[in-house]
Amino acid sequence: MDSASTQSVTFFDFLDRMRNPASLDLVRSIKSFIVSFSFYTANPENDGKKVQDFFFTMEAAIRDHPLWDGASIEEIDSAMEGLEKYVMTKLFSRTFAPLPEDVKIDQEVSEKICLLQTFLRPEHLDIPAVLQNEASWLLAEKELQKINAFKAPREKLLCIMNCCKVINNLLLNASMSENVVLAGADDFLPVLIYVVIKANPPQLHSNLKFIQLYRRQTKLVSEAAYYFTNLVSAKSFIVDLNAKSLSIEEIKFEESMQAARLANKVARVDIKALREERGPGPSGRIHDNETNTSGGCSYPYMEAEAGELTVGDVERLLSVYKDVVTKYTGLCRAVRHVPVTKKVPPAPHLEGTDVMLTQPAAETSTSMDSQKR
Amino acid sequence: MGCASSIPDKSAGGLNNLDNGGAPDAKNLRVKLVLLGDSGVGKSCIVLRFVRGQFDPTSKVTVGASFLSQTIALQDSTTVKFEIWDTAGQERYAALAPLYYRGAAVAVIVYDITSSESFTKAQYWVKELQKHGSPDIVMALVGNKADLQDSREVPAQDGIDYAEKNGMFFIETSAKTADNINQLFEEIAKRLPRPSAPDS
Repeated sequence: MDSASTQSVTFFDFLDRMRNPASLDLVRSIKSFIVSFSFYTANPENDGKKVQDFFFTMEAAIRDHPLWDGASIEEIDSAMEGLEKYVMTKLFSRTFAPLPEDVKIDQEVSEKICLLQTFLRPEHLDIPAVLQNEASWLLAEKELQKINAFKAPREKLLCIMNCCKVINNLLLNASMSENVVLAGADDFLPVLIYVVIKANPPQLHSNLKFIQLYRRQTKLVSEAAYYFTNLVSAKSFIVDLNAKSLSIEEIKFEESMQAARLANKVARVDIKALREERGPGPSGRIHDNETNTSGGCSYPYMEAEAGELTVGDVERLLSVYKDVVTKYTGLCRAVRHVPVTKKVPPAPHLEGTDVMLTQPAAETSTSMDSQKR
Repeated sequence: MGCASSIPDKSAGGLNNLDNGGAPDAKNLRVKLVLLGDSGVGKSCIVLRFVRGQFDPTSKVTVGASFLSQTIALQDSTTVKFEIWDTAGQERYAALAPLYYRGAAVAVIVYDITSSESFTKAQYWVKELQKHGSPDIVMALVGNKADLQDSREVPAQDGIDYAEKNGMFFIETSAKTADNINQLFEEIAKRLPRPSAPDS
């Protein structure tokens, strides 16, 4: 498979051709197809078939089109890749995990993986020591975790292929350096399963379903189909996984799962309790950064008028104030260390809370500065 | 012995490179072949032998040992491209096999002649495929590690009898010595149902 960069070039090429007045008929078909989707409620099996049929018709239309006169098989193919990407990006919100069932399965898979992560060891899948390579596994995990960064089925599939390639390289290297016989799928699948559990890729079920339904059928064949099937099979193994699926004592397995469930619950209660107890105060320090960017709720006085405040608010107001100042000074220190060679890129997360955050903080700090002087 | 010579040399090089997923036709078949059998019977060794045996062994065009493809040319100038899907043979993955053999035109079921347990497992796979595989699937029963005659546990006749009873092709191979490896795939190619397209 070609790299992502050449693909983006061909995608722009596709868009370019679509801007050509000569392709008006194609553009019309594409647009009316996309619009036609909004008339009906989502029905994955049907929708998948409709999209595949559309790709099929369009391939014939492109092949006969004057704009592609004398084009090679590769050029037609890259136009089709462009079309797939364009159509599926437009239809993404309608076609990706459209049913509540899908959302639920995604959640269940992810939760089960969370539990397994707490105790599963490579030995439980009888992965031989020569294949236990944290660095390789991490690379493979990262490839899988990228899957939601893309909307086009082809690019999602590419994440899976890349993950599998990393694992294959690990197997090949092991067989060369350690004089171990290559054991093919006997070695490959356990490592893939372990990597999937470590990675806990987002919306695994929905991503697989999406690729299955919307990747052009002529492309989900051969090697791509094989590695795709392996991930489907890894997911299926994880969903059905019990003590008998692993080299582990049944009691040990049940205990570990129970402990993991309990720990999970405690963690959830903790967070909830903290939120309730401390109110929407400077909870960002305790939680991870995600809570920080979750919106204006961390700074509840942004809309408040002076007259509305009561003595009871003082404590919270003070803690919010301290939080803001700490963050601001931290930010200043960080900014000072940014090299000024290039223009400073706008920090992408300066949205929502953070924008609101900087303004009052700026005032506070100027007043502090003036006090010092 | 020396089975490699039975495959015309020209079969390998060019044809493989030409393939870019073009439509298969009566002259150039593309075939999904699934490998089943207990872990450790040498499924992937057979394939590696088949694929690399005719090539420069240092070439690493293929990604891994679990999916490999190889094209062979037959006497009647047709070519068959095998896309070989390996499956994990450990017991805990047995339930996943249908995901792999779905849509396969060929199933190669491998056992180890030095392990009667693996022969039992092979029979399990044959039954499973008869029940759930596609009805026109071509099945081959392969007794591997034929070079280890001294530790043989499964008499060749047992394999022959079982295969005959189930309408399968049977062969004993040695991935180690390359014995019968090419014959296996050639014989499978001959048994494939041909699309009844007019000769062009």
